[in-house]
Amino acid sequence: MTRFLLQRLGQAVAQLLIVGSIVFFLVRLIPGDPARAALGETATEEQVAQTREAMHLNDSFASQFFGFWGRLFQGDLGTSLVSGREVMQDLPSRLGNSLELVLVSLALALLIGVLLGRIAATRADRPADHALVAGSILGISLPVFVVGALLLMVFAILYPILPPQRFTSPLEDPLTHLQTLVLPVVTLTAASCAVITRMTRSAMLETLTADYVRTARSKGLVESKVVNRHALRTAMVPVVSTATVELTTLIGSTVLVETIFGWPGVSSLLMDAVGQRDYPVIQAVVLSVATIVILVNLIGDLVVRFLDPRTEES
Amino acid sequence: MTMMNRRRFLAGATAALGTSTLAACGGPVSLPQSLESVAPGARGEPRRGGVLYFGLSTDPANLDPHVSTGSASDYLRQMSYNGLLQYDGDGEIVADLAADHGWSDRTTYKVTLRPEVSFHDGSLLTAEDVVFSFRRILDEKTVATSGPLLDMVETVEAADRRTVVFRLKQPDVTLPFALAAPSSNIVSKKWIESGADTKTQVMGTGPFRFVERIPGVSTTFVRFDDYFEPELPYLNAIVFQPMADDYARVTALRTATVDMIDYVPATHVDVITENPRLRFVSDSSFGFGFVGFVTTQPPFDDVRVRKAIALSINRPSVLETAMLGHGKPIDGSLMPSAFARYPRKLDRTLRYDPEQARYLLKRAGQEGLALPVVTTSSYSVIARPAQSMLPGLRAAGLRVNLNQQEWLTFRASVEARKFPVHSWGTAPTFGDPAALKDFIGSAGTFTRNLDFKDERIDELLASARRTTDPGLRDEMYLDVETRALDLLPMTYTVRREQGEAHSDRVRGFEHPPKGAWTGVALRRTWMERS
Repeated sequence: MTRFLLQRLGQAVAQLLIVGSIVFFLVRLIPGDPARAALGETATEEQVAQTREAMHLNDSFASQFFGFWGRLFQGDLGTSLVSGREVMQDLPSRLGNSLELVLVSLALALLIGVLLGRIAATRADRPADHALVAGSILGISLPVFVVGALLLMVFAILYPILPPQRFTSPLEDPLTHLQTLVLPVVTLTAASCAVITRMTRSAMLETLTADYVRTARSKGLVESKVVNRHALRTAMVPVVSTATVELTTLIGSTVLVETIFGWPGVSSLLMDAVGQRDYPVIQAVVLSVATIVILVNLIGDLVVRFLDPRTEES
Repeated sequence: MTMMNRRRFLAGATAALGTSTLAACGGPVSLPQSLESVAPGARGEPRRGGVLYFGLSTDPANLDPHVSTGSASDYLRQMSYNGLLQYDGDGEIVADLAADHGWSDRTTYKVTLRPEVSFHDGSLLTAEDVVFSFRRILDEKTVATSGPLLDMVETVEAADRRTVVFRLKQPDVTLPFALAAPSSNIVSKKWIESGADTKTQVMGTGPFRFVERIPGVSTTFVRFDDYFEPELPYLNAIVFQPMADDYARVTALRTATVDMIDYVPATHVDVITENPRLRFVSDSSFGFGFVGFVTTQPPFDDVRVRKAIALSINRPSVLETAMLGHGKPIDGSLMPSAFARYPRKLDRTLRYDPEQARYLLKRAGQEGLALPVVTTSSYSVIARPAQSMLPGLRAAGLRVNLNQQEWLTFRASVEARKFPVHSWGTAPTFGDPAALKDFIGSAGTFTRNLDFKDERIDELLASARRTTDPGLRDEMYLDVETRALDLLPMTYTVRREQGEAHSDRVRGFEHPPKGAWTGVALRRTWMERS
């Protein structure tokens, strides 16, 4: 186990070095100028040139590249070229807001998806199964911006039972915070829930016909115990792997959800930074998200090992 | 590993993630609940109190008092800073920090400051602060937005503790416009010299004190109790929340998440005006679209080709399709009637005429010309007119290829002349025909992307700035507009209805019909009790 962990942590460091370097070069290849973004459309070419100089954008590529890594190893993520604020002033809270959306959505998607998948598998080829399969295909097909806009239109404008609130910190007013959470979480949950439902269904259909399940039944165990203790637990292995992939998808989906619902998360920070070519912010956000994705995958692998010790042996 | 251990592991991991998430959660600065209350008063009379939540179309790049990145950034700046002059609700130039102002002779402009004006740190405003502010604006290192507008200024001096004298290189009637510009703000010399970071900190004489800015989340201001106009501001606080997406911004207003929004997209104007709880205030003077040509690049160096394209744009149809009719087509002069005497005789100079366009293309030997056009997909007010022009251009036989790029990529493409034709949208810097220099003067902000220079136009623009006789100025600008329509370095498309929308609780907000897009009206805005 220790060897496995060390190996994966070593891989993670290498992956982060590669991601950081690629992002450093890629953002500088995008046409457009942070100096122009900081000055507005009426700035003259001379003014833009002066600002580029002040932002050290005319320094050599090598100097910028090694400066970036040097500062990073000292824990300094840099200062926004456009707003003049240190990246660390904004990144933790924005990352926290996005993680909250993603984790709550994933937890709900797992809870509902596993439940619905179990129902579909145990009622295979019956109306409930057909309805759930059709529903999950719909959930997967609808893009988040369509679901979000529809929810907003129905529950906030036509029948305002869930009006969006101004974002409030959970530490300040937990109830209002929960209200603001409902629509974006439902939007994000819809697609992930559909994926997990389908995965649980297909995994369970396989395990329900396995020899050990037939043995359990022949020993006279009640059906609910056979399904929950024997079939479902084994079916959870691919579901956990799917959930780790879904988490990455959810992080990607927050770009649209945060825009639609005015959620101050890390995706909107990244979008603004890309729009303004704010290199230090882009680099910091991408590296942070990459770290989370790598860690989540590591945790996912560990969970799978716990659930199915055979993977550890193999 | 036992089952219990696995459960403990999962529970522990979940709890750790949840706790770290909660601990990290952050949002806008929380204001005391007491600020939300509005004082009782007679209906329709301004009253103190309330917090205005404002959905802003753009998150300003930074807070420097002298660097504007657009009208959204001006809103923020004008909460905490004042200029010497400002625009009133009708768009007329009036005093702000000035108690008295005017020309002493043709090249000397004298401003006497109001007495006892306090900065937010308690220090008193002096003429030295004003001189320092304008020297900072004129310093190239500041890259101040108003710097180029003040290129006529030779010296700025303090005659005494309350009097500032501007001496110009030559007579120039645009000085008051430059002094009233939203980025010609007065700062504290002591504060700046103390090393304050003007990008992230704010300290002026304005009606609201800056509390905090969280980029992408909110910028918060609270009432400054020692403001020099004791009855103002009426509001206790203003919270600006950036909402770049049109749909999200309008929805936030419709659901009362915010009380007011700027940059109402034309496609949502009807939804707002049909809602009895909402108000829409706008002008049709400022925002306009245009198609610019790189006039040195063949075959666009041939005025017949440029004119053919101008005649192929079906402006009424573009207005209807792109703006749902909210605006006016521009087939004549650029300057609207709000700015000066409008040269009506130039109307219909470029009315839609695909047959004539075909004829001109044939004469120029450019039948079926391939026309690469670039525009930006980032702003609907620019992208939609560009898309709506295509049928007209194709009807004239042009093989148009519209490239839609993200904003800064588009800007880079235009500056590098990567495309011979671009479709853009903007607004004059101020409400006077002198602002034409930005579009057709050889050193203009937008003209430089066209490689266009016409000595006659430059002479007329320079002479008109020196002339005080309104009739003579009108004649000069008529000549400028006529010549611009002959040479067509760019062709205007539609003038858009541009404005703000707010809930009916918000009162006293006026959108000036001319002058400049400005947030100073928020100083006089108040709220009804809910």
